[in-house]
Amino acid sequence: MAYYPEPVARLIDALQRLPGIGPKTAQRLTFYMLKRPPDEVRELGDALLAVKEKITYCRTCFNVTDEDPCRLCSDPRRDEHVICVVEEPNDLLAMERTGEYRGRYHVLLGALSPLDGIGPDDLKIRELLARLEGRETTEVILATNPNVEGEATALYLAKLLRPLAVRITRIARGLPVGGDLEYADQVTLSKALEGRREIS
Amino acid sequence: MQIGWIQLVEFRNYRTLEFSPSSHLNLLTGPNAQGKTNLLEALGFLLTGRSFRTSRLSEVPRWEATSSSVAGEICRAEGGRTVRRMIRKLDNGGAQASGDTCEWARVIAFGWQDLDIVTGAPGARRNFIDGFAGRLYPGHLATLLRYRQILARRNHVLQSRELDAEAQLEPWDEQLVSVGMELIGRRRKAAAMLQTELGRVFPALSGVRQKVEIRYRTALAEATEAAEMLAALVRLRRVELRRGVSLVGPHRDDLAIELDGIDVRSFGSRGQQRLIALALRLAEVLPVTEAAGSTPVLLLDDALSELDARVRQNVFREIDGAEQVFLTSPEALPARRAACWTVRAGAVLREGDADVARGSVAQA
Repeated sequence: MAYYPEPVARLIDALQRLPGIGPKTAQRLTFYMLKRPPDEVRELGDALLAVKEKITYCRTCFNVTDEDPCRLCSDPRRDEHVICVVEEPNDLLAMERTGEYRGRYHVLLGALSPLDGIGPDDLKIRELLARLEGRETTEVILATNPNVEGEATALYLAKLLRPLAVRITRIARGLPVGGDLEYADQVTLSKALEGRREIS
Repeated sequence: MQIGWIQLVEFRNYRTLEFSPSSHLNLLTGPNAQGKTNLLEALGFLLTGRSFRTSRLSEVPRWEATSSSVAGEICRAEGGRTVRRMIRKLDNGGAQASGDTCEWARVIAFGWQDLDIVTGAPGARRNFIDGFAGRLYPGHLATLLRYRQILARRNHVLQSRELDAEAQLEPWDEQLVSVGMELIGRRRKAAAMLQTELGRVFPALSGVRQKVEIRYRTALAEATEAAEMLAALVRLRRVELRRGVSLVGPHRDDLAIELDGIDVRSFGSRGQQRLIALALRLAEVLPVTEAAGSTPVLLLDDALSELDARVRQNVFREIDGAEQVFLTSPEALPARRAACWTVRAGAVLREGDADVARGSVAQA
């Protein structure tokens, strides 16, 4: 990188640290910026700063928000009795996009991941327990990802919440809607078979 | 199933090659280091997207080339499919394979490294039984991968030396036992099938009637329930925490292979060891055929060396029942009903007929 002027090298270096971006993409983005009008680049810079300055985590559910408590937590039309536990704010957004779920959320901000040194204390688990205390929650839906970390997190939470008088459920794993049985992989298919339900 | 034709570009020592093999036995002969094994590797790669020789795909493209490509037609009774695959070298020194997949294609490959199944460490026998189980049950390798992920994380917790490590182990234990018992269950079924077939194949090759036994060896003895493995983990908890590794599960298991009650590892004759390894591979053929609905393609790399003439004839008789077979050998072999090819400097020529396969010679 010695042959780039310092500001160019600095931007390439900064972009490279972003997830999913390697040296080549960082170079391409940098040279793209150089060609754009100054207003557009300033707009991007402002947006980057604003997201860091104005956005915080909701103190109740730990979703990203610009007001505390967040809109989802302060919305009186949402069902107080059900809490859906997800790993990250994007998972919450995915659930919201369905428009089906009308309860509250709790974002853990991660999953149990020994390889990255993330244990129960690094997640918003204590905060979840505090929320459940005293409130009239009837169901906790564990909607962590179906990978090994998400599964471990769900199992850990299930064990932890068992003494409380709450119904604990885990989202189903199985076939995508509109898919073909023939093209489903074996693991998905056997999970779908395991979680089959009686049809009424 | 069989390969109708195959085309290679920049694959190992082949710059380009077009090859239309016979639908039955193909004998590939030629001096050493001319590309016989490389051709077998390419045939296997076409069918499965994996190399039976190496896990480092970056060594496959010809040394100054950045990518290899393999294309070909795979046929079975229900019809054929044209498959194209690529291997691209990456900047970081690795390589990435991409392209079409053919989920019904199956390969059984035998190579010199299979001697490890008989004489090597338990890991070689676990790889062997997992490969076989993967050809029988398509989900097996995905389960194995998941098991390894869970195991790595569990070992990390064991090594963390944190005070509450025990409480943190619980969610990993639960996953380890459910996925672990799934693996053990399939391996046991695979071992049972192998024993039945080996009991027929081995005497057919050696010409001597011997009692063959294959047992799946695990610290869990006859356990079939996840709860039993969990109990074993709890029993060993303190030792595991001290040593920082998981001590029970399919990653510690082994396969015991016995002839007339004697463990084959103790056999002194190298010819005998090779024959057992070859018999194990050929014992896979029938169960895989039944599971996949079509006969697998056999890739036998130098399978007849160190075997005597009578045993060689028995091997020919045994593989006569398979569909398409590729057999390499440094010298010509007396096989009936075989298409004979000469492999020389990255070109494949039909014996007595130079027009069937054309390959340009790789200039290194």
